[in-house]
Parts: sequence; structure tokens; C-alpha cells
Amino acid sequence: MNVDITDLTRRFGHTQAVAGVSLETGAGVFGLLGPNGAGKTSLLRMMATVIPPTSGRLRLLGRDPGGYGPRREIRRRLGYLPQNLGYYPGFTVAEFVEYFALLKDMPSAQVPKAVATAVERVDLGSKARAKLRTLSGGMLRRVGIAQAIVNDPELLLLDEPTAGLDPEQRVAFRALLRDLGQRTTVVVSTHLVEDVGAACTEVALMDNGKIVFHGTPDELTARGEGHGIGDAPMERGYTAVLAAARS
Amino acid sequence: MERAAGRLLRSPGLARALVTTPSLLLGWIIATVVVLVAGVAATLGTGTPYVALLAPAVAAAGIAYAYGPGIDPAWELSCSMAVSDRMVLLVRALAVFALNAALGLAASAASGAAAAVTFGWLIPMTAVCGLALAAATVTRSANVGVAAGLAGWLIAILAGQAAAGRYTAALTDSSLVLPYLAVAACCGAIAMYATRIPRGTS
Repeated sequence: MNVDITDLTRRFGHTQAVAGVSLETGAGVFGLLGPNGAGKTSLLRMMATVIPPTSGRLRLLGRDPGGYGPRREIRRRLGYLPQNLGYYPGFTVAEFVEYFALLKDMPSAQVPKAVATAVERVDLGSKARAKLRTLSGGMLRRVGIAQAIVNDPELLLLDEPTAGLDPEQRVAFRALLRDLGQRTTVVVSTHLVEDVGAACTEVALMDNGKIVFHGTPDELTARGEGHGIGDAPMERGYTAVLAAARS
Repeated sequence: MERAAGRLLRSPGLARALVTTPSLLLGWIIATVVVLVAGVAATLGTGTPYVALLAPAVAAAGIAYAYGPGIDPAWELSCSMAVSDRMVLLVRALAVFALNAALGLAASAASGAAAAVTFGWLIPMTAVCGLALAAATVTRSANVGVAAGLAGWLIAILAGQAAAGRYTAALTDSSLVLPYLAVAACCGAIAMYATRIPRGTS
């Protein structure tokens, strides 16, 4: 299992952001659904080794990120797209992706080809020399995805990756996700159920820091039959599960 | 410059992290030079060693603004990288310190102040920079780091004035060298502790 989490918690002062989450997942695309403030981003940040858990057991790629050596090894094989991607406006697309390839400790000789491949995969080949300050929000999001996949990660964590993408780009991105999920563990945090339905093999629904549903997208859809509120079958499943968890 | 840093640090990633230091951007460096040039003019005009009094405060601000949340645009992402953010912080802090020390030395030489004062600010600057770094890393706020550094330096100057009747006592009193170095070492240790990732995740 590339992600092995047992009873993980995270507190920020008096706020319990993640409250005893357990999950395991291997290769495939894992969707993390939930309303705003459910704890998705905190869980993803712990998996990205940005913040440590308050308690519980976290193993990534078979290693404990609590130790310096294992954490560094995990980070070499990790791709992460944060919810708010900060960038250097004066960098070009290629320079930005190259910077993070270097910080991921990729061998220097492999970097130029890896950068070109990653930029092409997000359909920004023609913009490789464009300064980041000249790009639209959707393009910047794709730059963020390019830096996340530049090292061909074994564990890819994407926080709201489709935010700002137009419908055509979202369709292309879902195809990229399915392709990456063939050999990589991809965890996608989103509040868009259609992304989960189209790209994910497994889904967990979080609310108030807990996982209130874990199964396949079809199973989530089935929960909404005859219940729930929403325009699409999976939306009805989503609302039905949340309503049941809160009642 | 990036290539030279890459060879020196033996890490192209750290080298690029160095050249993206917020407080080493051109605007910041120009502002530092302007402050020190004004200090030189004031020193030459009044005989008071303003350069020596200003240099530690300016360097402390640069150190606090070298790296961190809200300062470095890509900080969140950098925290998930194999090249550790502690290394990035260390390299950037040393670079900012070295640049400010060089600019301060040039300004001191140009102001022609007394020898003891000319270079007497280097060790106090180390302590003040250490204080700013420790405060910034513990609170994860560059502004708190700047405030702590400036407050610490102001207290040292005022204490020198109260004890010896001279503002420059904080720079010239040789008995303060060891306390300054002790403060710098303690603050360095605090910064190292504050930037660790705690164990206990499994």
C-alpha cells in the first residue's frame, strides 16, 4: 500500500481538523470529497509531509515520514499540488517546473527532458517560455500540475486540481489522471463530484474531520437512490451520505 | 550567479532557492544600500556612528524576510520537497547575512568612523540577526522577527546609553562580545528546533 493511515488526527489549537482518519490505498485514483472545512486539505498536507499529524500512524510508500531519511526519500517520489499554488511571477513556465524538479533532488541530467515532458502533458508546450505573470488562472493551475508530475511520482497529491480549468481542460485533465492512476497512487481532493465520477476508482467522503463514506463512485451513487438532493446521481449520493452522517 | 552558487553548494535546487530569496531581490538590495548611504552621510555630518547603529537592524530585517509563509510565494510547495526547507532557510539566511555584512563594511569604511566602532557592529549584528531568525521561525511571522530584532537592538543601545552614557557602548564595550555570541548561539539553536518536523507520526 502506498498510503497507509491509521487513526490520524490533526489539531490546530482548539480546532480538530482531522479526527481519527484511517485509510489504505494503492495504485489508482483516489477521490477525497467533502464540503469546505471537512478536513481534506489538512489530510492532504499531512500526506504531503508539509505538516505532521498530532497523533496516529502515517506510512507513505512503505516509509515513516517522521524520520529525516525516510521523509526525504518519500519527498523524492512525491508530487504535490497545494490548494493555493504560490509562484514567482518572473519565472517562465519551464523555469518554475525546473526549480521544483531540482528541489525534488532529480539528477540534473534528467531535468530538462522531464520538464519538457511534464509541460507537454499539461498542454503548455507552446507556453514553456512564457512568464508566469502573463498566464491565466487555468494555465497557472496546469503549471502547478506540471511541477507535481515532473518527477514521475509514485504518490501524487492534488488539492482542487480542476479549480480554474475550463470544461475542455477538465476533460483532458481527467484523462491525464486516469493515465497516471495506472501505475501511481493519485489522491485528488475536490468538492466537484463529477471529477470523482469521471476519474476515480475509489472515493472517500469527509465531513467534520472524519471519513463518513469509503467505497467506489458507483457505491456512492447508489446511496443516493431515492434520497438526497442534487442534479446528478452522484450528487444525490453525496448529499444523502452527508445527511445521514449529520443526523 | 545561480551557476556559481550551484557549484559552491553542490545543489542546483538550493542555488535556485538562493536566487529567489525575497530579501535578496534587487529592490530590497537597493533599499539597503540607500539606508546605509544615508547612514554614511549622517555619520560624516554629525560624527555619530549611524552606520554601525543601523547595520544590525537592517540585516535583521533582511534575515526575517528571507523565507517563510507569507514571504516566499512557493513556501507551501517548498515544504514538501526533498531538499529540506531548513536547508533553504540556512542557505538564504547566510547569504543575506553575508551581503549585509559586506554592504555594512563598505559603508563603515566610507564613513571613516573610529576603528572600534567601524567593525564593532559585526558581532552585535550576528546576535540581532539570530534573534530575528529565531523569532520569525518560532512564530512563523517575518514581521514578528523584524520586531524582535529591532526591539532587541534598541534595548541593547538604550542599555548602553544608560550604563555608560554613550549610545555606542553597545558596539564598543568588549565585555559584551561573549553575551552577544551566546545570544546568537542560543537563537540559532532555537531556530533549528523550530524548523524541525517532530517525530511520532507512526
